Formats: sequence, C-alpha cells, structure tokens
Amino acid sequence: MTIVVTGLGAITALGDTLRETFDRVVEGERGFGNITLFDPGDVRARVVAQVRSLPEAAGDENGSSRTTELALRAAREALADARLDPRQVRTGLLLAGSTAGLFQTEMELVPLLSPSPDTARVDAALARMPSHLLTGPTDYVAAELGPFARVRSLSSACSSGVNAIAIAAEWLELGLVDAVVCGGADALCRVTLSGFNALAAVDPQGARPFDRRRKGLTLGEGAALLVLERAADAAARGQRAICSVLGWAARSEAHHITNPEATGDAPYRAMKAALDRAGLAPADVDYVNAHGTGTPLNDPMETRALVRLFGDDVGKVPVSTQKGMLGHTLAAAGAIETAITALAIERGILPPTGGLEEIDPDCAPLRHVLRATPQAIRVALSSSFGFGGMDAAVVLGAADAQTKPRRVRGVVVTGVAAVTPAGIFAGDAVADLAATTLPATRVTTPEGALDADRARRLDPVARLATLACARALDPVDANAGIVLGNAFGLIDATAELMKRFVEKGARMVRPADFPGLVPSSPAGHVSIYLGLRGPAMIVADHGVSGECAFTQAHEMVAAGDADRVCAGASEDKSPMIERWLTEIFGEGRYRRALPGDDAVPGPEEGLPRAEGAAFVALAAEDTPGAIARVESVHAWTDAVPALAPPPSGAVVVVGMLTAEVAAALDGSTWRDCPRIALAPATGAHEATGAMAIAVAAAKVARGDAPAALFLGIARGRGYAGVLCPPRAQP
Amino acid sequence: MAGLGKPRLSVVIRYLAVSTPPNQAELRAQLKSLLVSELNLAGRSPEDIGDDMLLFGEGGVGLDSLDALQIAMLVEEKFGVRIPEGDEARPIFRSVSTLGTFIERETSAK
Repeated sequence: MTIVVTGLGAITALGDTLRETFDRVVEGERGFGNITLFDPGDVRARVVAQVRSLPEAAGDENGSSRTTELALRAAREALADARLDPRQVRTGLLLAGSTAGLFQTEMELVPLLSPSPDTARVDAALARMPSHLLTGPTDYVAAELGPFARVRSLSSACSSGVNAIAIAAEWLELGLVDAVVCGGADALCRVTLSGFNALAAVDPQGARPFDRRRKGLTLGEGAALLVLERAADAAARGQRAICSVLGWAARSEAHHITNPEATGDAPYRAMKAALDRAGLAPADVDYVNAHGTGTPLNDPMETRALVRLFGDDVGKVPVSTQKGMLGHTLAAAGAIETAITALAIERGILPPTGGLEEIDPDCAPLRHVLRATPQAIRVALSSSFGFGGMDAAVVLGAADAQTKPRRVRGVVVTGVAAVTPAGIFAGDAVADLAATTLPATRVTTPEGALDADRARRLDPVARLATLACARALDPVDANAGIVLGNAFGLIDATAELMKRFVEKGARMVRPADFPGLVPSSPAGHVSIYLGLRGPAMIVADHGVSGECAFTQAHEMVAAGDADRVCAGASEDKSPMIERWLTEIFGEGRYRRALPGDDAVPGPEEGLPRAEGAAFVALAAEDTPGAIARVESVHAWTDAVPALAPPPSGAVVVVGMLTAEVAAALDGSTWRDCPRIALAPATGAHEATGAMAIAVAAAKVARGDAPAALFLGIARGRGYAGVLCPPRAQP
Repeated sequence: MAGLGKPRLSVVIRYLAVSTPPNQAELRAQLKSLLVSELNLAGRSPEDIGDDMLLFGEGGVGLDSLDALQIAMLVEEKFGVRIPEGDEARPIFRSVSTLGTFIERETSAK
C-alpha cells in the first residue's frame, strides 16, 4: 500500500501559500527582519522570520490564537489543493505544536500568579486560556474545518512536524482513516524568543546554517499542513499525487535536554530506520532536506550523522536547509520542510540553503546546495531533531513509487505501574489500585527512588512519569520509546518565566527553566533519565490524555514503528491548574464554551485533584513476558462505536465515571459488567485514564477477569480498548 | 551586539543598585549556596563544593553548558556583573574561586 501526498499548504515568512514560499526559496530570499509583533526587550537578536501578512491581532477576535490562525490558513490551502472535504471523506486531523496559543496567553499568566489578582484581569486572562493548551489549535481547527473522524495533538519539540506526518501515514496504513490532514504550527512569542535568547542559541546576524560564522538559529513562525491518502483512494477519486511517503522513523538521543549528542547517533538511526522502512538504501537518496538550524552544535553533529549514513557517497548527495530563510519554526519546521521537499520532488528543483556563504570545514563533507538547481528527485529525506533529543526523519518518493504492504502487528502489555499519593505500585499490585485510599494529594518520592544528580532537571510531570515508566518497563529496554499524555503542559513554569520576563527583562529569563517548559520536555526527560532511545513524544487530549497516549503507542507498535513503547500519562499538583484551569476546563464559574464542548463535566464533583502517573509497557505480540494482550482499541469523535460483547466475568475500568462515560457504557454490550472507577482512589486528574488502563491490564494479568474494558470521554472525543490474557507462547 | 562584548559601563551602573562587595570567603560561600539552590543540586550541600573544585567536566561538580548559562545569568542578577562569552569565559567558570575573583575584580572596578 503506497501513501501519497495529495495536498499541501503552508504559511511562512516568505509567503502566504506554500507555492509562494517555494518560489521565493528558489530565488534564495531570506524572510528575516526585526520583530514587530512585540517588544522582545534586551535580547541578543531581534531578527526573526515573522509572518508579516498575518495581523498582530490575528486570533484575538474569535478567542483562538495566532498559532491557530497560521494552522487554519495552511489547512485550508492543503484541503483545497487536495480537493478534499473532511465532512465527505473519513478524515483525520493530526496537528503538532509547541507554543500553541502562548502568544495570546503568555502575558495573561503573570496576573494569575498573584495571590489576589484583580477580577477584571482574571476574567480577561481566563477568557484566553482555552487557546493555551497544546490541544487549543487542534480544537479550533477541528471546529472550523471538521468534524474529523480522528483528532490528535502531539509534540516532540522541533521534530513534531515530521512525527505528525509519520503518525498520519500510520493511520492510513492501519486503515483507521481514509485521509489525514497533518502537520505543525507555531507562532512567535515572548517565551520562545527570550528562552532561545537565554540559551544563547540565536544569531544576531540571522541564521547561517553550515556557515563557518554561524552563531545560532533565527526563530520563525508558520504552519504547514499536508493531506495524505492511500494511493488507491486518491486515484479512485481522480486526485493527482504530488509525491509519495515511503518511510519514517523517530529515535531518541537519551542524552541532554538542550545539547545534541555530538556523534549524531540518534539522527543517524532515525534516518537509517526511515530508509529501512521504505525498503531503500542510502545510495537511493537524491536529496536531503536537513534540520540545519545554524546553531554551533547542530550543524557539525548533523554532518557527522550524514557522513555515517552515506559513507563515501556523502559528497554526492545534495543537502540543503531553509532555516536561513524561513527561520526555525519549531513544531512547524518539520512539516514546512517536508512540504518544500514534496514540491522539490514534483518540480524537480533542489532548493538552496539561504544564508550559507562560507562553508564551515566541519560541515564541508556535505554537498551543499547554494543556489536552486534543476534535478530529478526520485527519493528525498527530510529530518528534524528536537529538544530532549527527539529525532525524526521521513522519506518521500516520486508520485508513482510503490511500497509493499506491511503486516499489522498484534500488541501486548509487558508491564504496568502507577504512582499515586498512596504509593508506587507495579505488576499485580496495580490490580488493587481502586482499593487504595488517598492519604494526601501529593506523591512522596521515596528516598533514593531517583538519582538526585541525574534527576535535578526533571520537572514534576517528568519525575512522576520516570518513577512509573521505570517500573512498567522493568527491566528498562534501551530501544523502548515513550508516549506521555499530559493535558495542560508545564503552565506554572511558563508563568514563572513570564514573571521574570515582565519584572526583570528578557536577559533575566532563566536559561535552565526554558527547555523544561517546552510541552514535550517531560517525555524527553524520561527518555534521558532512563536511557530510552526509541520514539519519544507527548500527546494531549484534555481529560483523556492517558487514553490518547495508549492509543498512540498502540498504533506505533501495531504499525511496526516501535517494538516497545511505554505509554501513559502524568499530571502534577499544579497550583495554576488547580486554581484557574479547573475553573474553565472543569465546572467552575469561569467555565466557557470551547470548540467541541457539549457541556461535558470536568473532574468528578467532590473529588480532590491529586497528582500521579500511570504507564503500561506495550510491545509487539511475539515479545516474551506478555501479561496481557490488546484485543481492540477505539478512538472516536462522534458516536461511541459498537464494542464486541464481553466474555462472562469481564470488568470495566475507567478513570472517571462521569455521566457521559456512564451513558456510553449503558448503551454498550458491556452495560452489565462491574465498573471500577479510579478517581476516588487516585484523586481526580487528567491521567486517571492511564491508571484505568494499567489496572485493566493488571486485573487481566492476575486472572481477576477474562477481559477488561477501559473507556474515557472528554470534550466529545472518546477512547476505549479491551485487554485480554496473552495467547500462550509457542 | 549591544552589551555582550562591552559590559563595563552597564556593570558599573547595575552594580551600584545591587550590593556592596562581600569579602572573598563570604562571596564563595554565597556562590556555593547559589549553585546548590539554583542548579537544583539536591544531593549536595554547599560545603561539598570545594573552592578550587572544577565546576565542569568529569571529576568535579559535573556541571554542563546549560549550567554555565544559568550561572552567568545568576551572577549578572545577584552581583550586577556580566561574564564575557566564548573562550574568555572558560578560566572564569573554572571553579568557585575563579568566579569569586572575577566578581570581586569587576565590582571593585567601579
């Protein structure tokens, strides 16, 4: 089954459409200039790649955000290009991000930190907050252009855009949807500009990738969305293919939260695995669209990875990056660059590296494209590397390329663990989690459970997740990946950064704090602490973030993109969330209508919000040590799908037994099964769904039930799955 | 870049608004406390850091380049002194005593 790109859209500093951007890239233009979107204060570089055509107030009017507006414009272009109506075709939406609505919300966070904020300020701030979450832009795009059959928000820092495309391709391979709109969007904001400034990672002259004089990146903003379909479906509706998507892979460095590992081992492994998946050799590659940020550390590291990949042929393969023209657009970068690569294939033009004049001797082994050159491209590789060492690559091919069908793999659970204020539970003990009582709302980390030195940079979400993942995986497999569900992001740390920005200026933003508040950071930290070198990413989906993470990990293992993935969710005891966000996302007086929100209740009335994390280790079906088997997984955005009838003695385990969840169960074939809800034992929070999945697996593993169903619904999006005992090992 | 290469004038102005120079022993103790609290060296106490212990690399405190950026910001915030960037910074960041000497020299140059 071949997957093809049938539509492309992008908005960048060089154009309101992808075609305009591409034409100007080919001309060698650089979209750089001093920022006018806001006053950045005393920073090393005021130069950015701002989308000048997008008004500063874009997104203000409808309560969305600048990022949402960027995403919407690119999505509309891509859908028109593909002549696709998501309401007519079973279509998925997969949007990657890192800043989400931060440009709109960042200045509002500071008053919320005050012990006695002014009521009017609070009202104004909370009115903004629905756009703040990673899910914000996705929710707005889904409401505007949907409904979509499957919706996901994800982040793996600067490799997010490539991962969105990879997961979209998985959805098509697995037959979950018939088309996917996928990509990434990020707007400029004070947090990222002052944060990269604090890290001394910006070039005052504008990014000069691979150049001897380079001093760092230039931040940009933009969005790119691609429409992917199975080739046969596109052909059946008479839609032309722009190019094919042949392979993809994600790998982690497990090294450092900001600094790339110098040998480029993980980028090499990601690119090699993407080619392997495509059934291609490095010698088949005609063009590489590099990550090429222009930071002193990235470019030589990437050169080493490419030298290792191509060996003696490295000087023959044209390489370029557009970050010296479009800036580094963070989560959008991988999508924009893949879209440019797609057009490069269609048009037979090698796009150049803008800003490169004096090639750094450390980057000299590569064949740099200094000006646009006509050349037929049959196979191209686009790669992106992110904070936390999350690296990803995608292989594109000519429109008529063919790929072999792949077998969908069964998925098993090899371990479970949960961390709650009542303690740390692993294996069989997890089965009794609902019988525990909540002694406090915070988790006490036992002395010595984490190495103090190695854990010193872990944020609260990462600490809880690390404790749970280590036990779910036990023993830790270095090739494992992690999908971490987290609904709100590290909003307290973001607010503290902004407080320093406002009160002390951009120079006094703490460099050590910035990388920790990137939404994907907790997954990066877990990967670094435990040495996990497989795919790593964050997903978010409000109160069902745990179920979403499980579903995502299940897809990755089933599609053969990871052999072992730790999946779950982690939520910390955040003052900002408890004081304010539950006011709008729960049932407080600031509750506001959100897109896709049909008055779904928040955390169960009367239950305290606590912190906690739960993870299950998933693996391919033939992996030894299975304790349970994933019989089925469902994700929906409209009606609850029909569930196969339960065997006698089966149980239902849910995170929060909301009225909506109860109604879904009452309407299903599982209506008469005993129901176990975790929130009364673990406290109410957005990771309770992950607790339910861990308990369901543990109950099946211990022989308490022949099958267990988990089910969660929040804001119109639902997830369910059935766990059964593993098949006897041959 | 304004300020990065020639910090002297701003140092003087900032310094006047910050604090009086503590003596070297006090300064070192203050720096050690700052390192432990601000870099979250939870497993250690300020006394565990020797005056001449290497801050970076193996066999010393084991800090990295992200910590260096954090220390530079802290020194600017607490003492009103900007640590130069690049190769010039290396000998300053060597240990608590080299940092202390640099801060004292810069603050007394007012």
